[in-house]
Amino acid sequence: MNHPVWDLPLLGSGWIIGIISIIHVSIAHLVVGAGIWLAIMEGRAQRAADGDLQAWLRSRAKALLWLSSIFGAATGVGIWVAIGLVNPTATQHLIRAFVMGWAIEWLIFAGEMATLIVLVRAYDRLKPRQRLVLYWLYAFCAWLSLVVINGIITFMLSPGKGWTASHAMWDGFFNATYLPSLLLRTFVALALGGLWGLAAGGSSNPTLKSRILKPTALFTLAGVLLAAASGWYYFQSFPPAARELVLGNLKGATSLAQGFRWALWGLGAFLVPGLLVLWAFFAPQTFRRPVALLGLLLACWGFGGFEWIREVARKPFVIRDVMYSNGIRVEQVAGYLKDGFLPQNAWARTFAASKGDTDLAKGEALLRSQCLACHTRDGYRSLKALTASNSEGDNVAFIQALRELDPALNPYLDRMPPFAGTEQEAELLGKYLGSLKAK
Amino acid sequence: MLLPPIPSPDPLLLPLPPVALKALLLVTFTLHLMAVNLGVGGSLIMAVHAWRGKPEDRDLVRRLAPLLPAAVTFAITLGIAPLLFVQLTYGPFFYTASVLTAVPWLALIFLLMAGYGLLYRFVGSAAAPAIHATSGILGSLLLLSVGLMLVNVTTLSLRPDLWAAHAAASPHGLRMNTADPTLWPRYLHMVAGIAAVAGLLLAGWGAWRRHAYARRVGLLWFIVATASQAAWGTWLLVRQPDPVFGLLMNTTTAPSLMMWISITCGGLALFMAIPASQAGAPAKAVWAPFGLGLAAVLGMILLRDQARDASLAAFGFHPEALPHKTDWLSLGVFGLTLVGLVVLLIVILRWATQPAPSAPAAE
Ligand code: HEC
Repeated sequence: MNHPVWDLPLLGSGWIIGIISIIHVSIAHLVVGAGIWLAIMEGRAQRAADGDLQAWLRSRAKALLWLSSIFGAATGVGIWVAIGLVNPTATQHLIRAFVMGWAIEWLIFAGEMATLIVLVRAYDRLKPRQRLVLYWLYAFCAWLSLVVINGIITFMLSPGKGWTASHAMWDGFFNATYLPSLLLRTFVALALGGLWGLAAGGSSNPTLKSRILKPTALFTLAGVLLAAASGWYYFQSFPPAARELVLGNLKGATSLAQGFRWALWGLGAFLVPGLLVLWAFFAPQTFRRPVALLGLLLACWGFGGFEWIREVARKPFVIRDVMYSNGIRVEQVAGYLKDGFLPQNAWARTFAASKGDTDLAKGEALLRSQCLACHTRDGYRSLKALTASNSEGDNVAFIQALRELDPALNPYLDRMPPFAGTEQEAELLGKYLGSLKAK
Repeated sequence: MLLPPIPSPDPLLLPLPPVALKALLLVTFTLHLMAVNLGVGGSLIMAVHAWRGKPEDRDLVRRLAPLLPAAVTFAITLGIAPLLFVQLTYGPFFYTASVLTAVPWLALIFLLMAGYGLLYRFVGSAAAPAIHATSGILGSLLLLSVGLMLVNVTTLSLRPDLWAAHAAASPHGLRMNTADPTLWPRYLHMVAGIAAVAGLLLAGWGAWRRHAYARRVGLLWFIVATASQAAWGTWLLVRQPDPVFGLLMNTTTAPSLMMWISITCGGLALFMAIPASQAGAPAKAVWAPFGLGLAAVLGMILLRDQARDASLAAFGFHPEALPHKTDWLSLGVFGLTLVGLVVLLIVILRWATQPAPSAPAAE
């Protein structure tokens, strides 16, 4: 890490991103799907001259405004805050590469909020036709913001050779996983938005209920099935190394397998709402809100599982083949191996100096800069536990092995970055690792 | 002594010339600040009047409070852009400061959501007046505390000389930038500014909509808040680090000129607001203090930027010298999207302000 490290004991800072982004990503996709759902429903209601349904949809638009302005926008800021704290070096790199993309996204988001606010607040002034146009404009803007952000997310998994050579934004934007991911995310959005509609419709009055639930159930079902199909297509588009990493984990190659099981159960759980909606379709009068909320929860779990696998597929990089999770760029490694990490990293030096520049302090500084992105000392993926049975010599030998760039000599390269420092620095870090045992 | 640990800048080139990025930063920051004045300052004022509870206060709250959540939405949305541009240009300073004070910085989101949620309650609540006013006051205080978290990171980002000691004292990022003497005066200066501009906006609305009470209390808010700047502003000035203080005291420099112009505008606005706030004063007397007050704010925004660059220049950082390569394609797409947005806004705002159809809409 080029910047100081936020040392969050036990949990590790990565979890902060995990928690905030699960909430944000679920809401962000939900509002896209809900926007499309609202527009379709309003069109149906207007064609059927169904005033009750239109009034009900108006209340849904209001709820959507509430959801996207309080939680959507605030957790969006939250993601910025979190990624900047957990991996400032990578965040800065991404911002440099994609600031114009984010600027475009921002214009679109402003349009999204403006259309929804006008729809909700000026509803009574609008002609029916204008209302329908606004519903569709909102849906379109919300989806467009997915179109933009998708380019940046997929870039991190598959930046592509073109970008590495040119550093031109659009080369990175339209990368190998762009289209499959866009399809997948669009369909997931439909499923989440539909479930949200079912949850609201489940407690509407009996005369409206079946008029709401029947079309909404079909909408949701389409989302679930299409998402499953495009999920497969998406996985096929992974870079080969990423695919191998995922498959290897499926076979239980590492202790990531536990997390993987949760993620896989989640993928299964994503399909369950597909069954639940049949209830809403065939017996709308007996359908209740909690069923839809359960479906929504399962779908979010499934989606979270998917996002987790996508993150793992990127390991040990934060931007595949460009930057490791600890903020060290691939091209920097040779220089650090040869001339040392401490002399070239102001914050690691500052940390060591604050603890008296002892050997242990230097070792700890190296650990903070290069290891805490994925490990903690004695909590999540604890280094103390992972090295419990090692002697000090084992630890030093282990770090020396991590310096190797040849996968034949360093079997950890598929999940850990190489240690980027000199032999002496490897010894300092190995000794510090050994000292964890005494603490 | 060790040199301050300033991280090396990212190797990717900026997509636009630094001056263009600076212009975007200043424009979006100004828009953000205006929305904050309206949304956060407005919430404070409305909550206080709801609490006061006289019939004329209740009328004011009933008419204006419903606008507040949308204003806060815009404040957040408009805040994301300058946050982006600051990270782009001042990344090594901004990220370092935020990590060093990570927990307060992260708390910002939760303060924001809680404040925003309470604001919605305040606006939509049918609860007893006391609860209603309390949620408004609590909500606006929470939103104001978001500002404290921002000032906390901003001030720390300007003081690389404080970083090493801060990091040693706060390895887990719990501590705020309280070692910096500018933290509290800068925050109070900002809060008073927010209240003052919100008051001006209220007075302007009152003059426009012929609402004498709004005009008068708006000016009163402006007068009291601006007069208090004599304390906060002076305190902030004398606590500036040496290079900046020297610059501001030397009247031949641009920042100093900017500061004196702004103070003059603000002072004039204050003196003209006093007669304009009297019972018999004509409505149009609002506009001179209104214009001068806003001019003072714009001047302060520019001064803020000049002081930042002067602070960082002392550590060898010159944003205008950052290397760039203009990304014309992205600029083109951005421009087209902007045109699209403007057209969209014009169309939907015309719809929003058209007369309501005479037949009641289907409810
Ligand atoms: C990209 C994230 C990442 C980074 C950075 C990282 N590791 Fe790991 N490390 C892992 C993963 C994943 C595993 C496998 C986890 C498991 O098997 O429980 C692992 C396993 C280990 C193990 C156990 C090895 C074994 O034989 O099972 C040790 C020891 C270890 N890491 C030390 C370090 C040290 C020291 C650093 C810093 C130089 C570091 N790691 C940096 C992700 C990382």
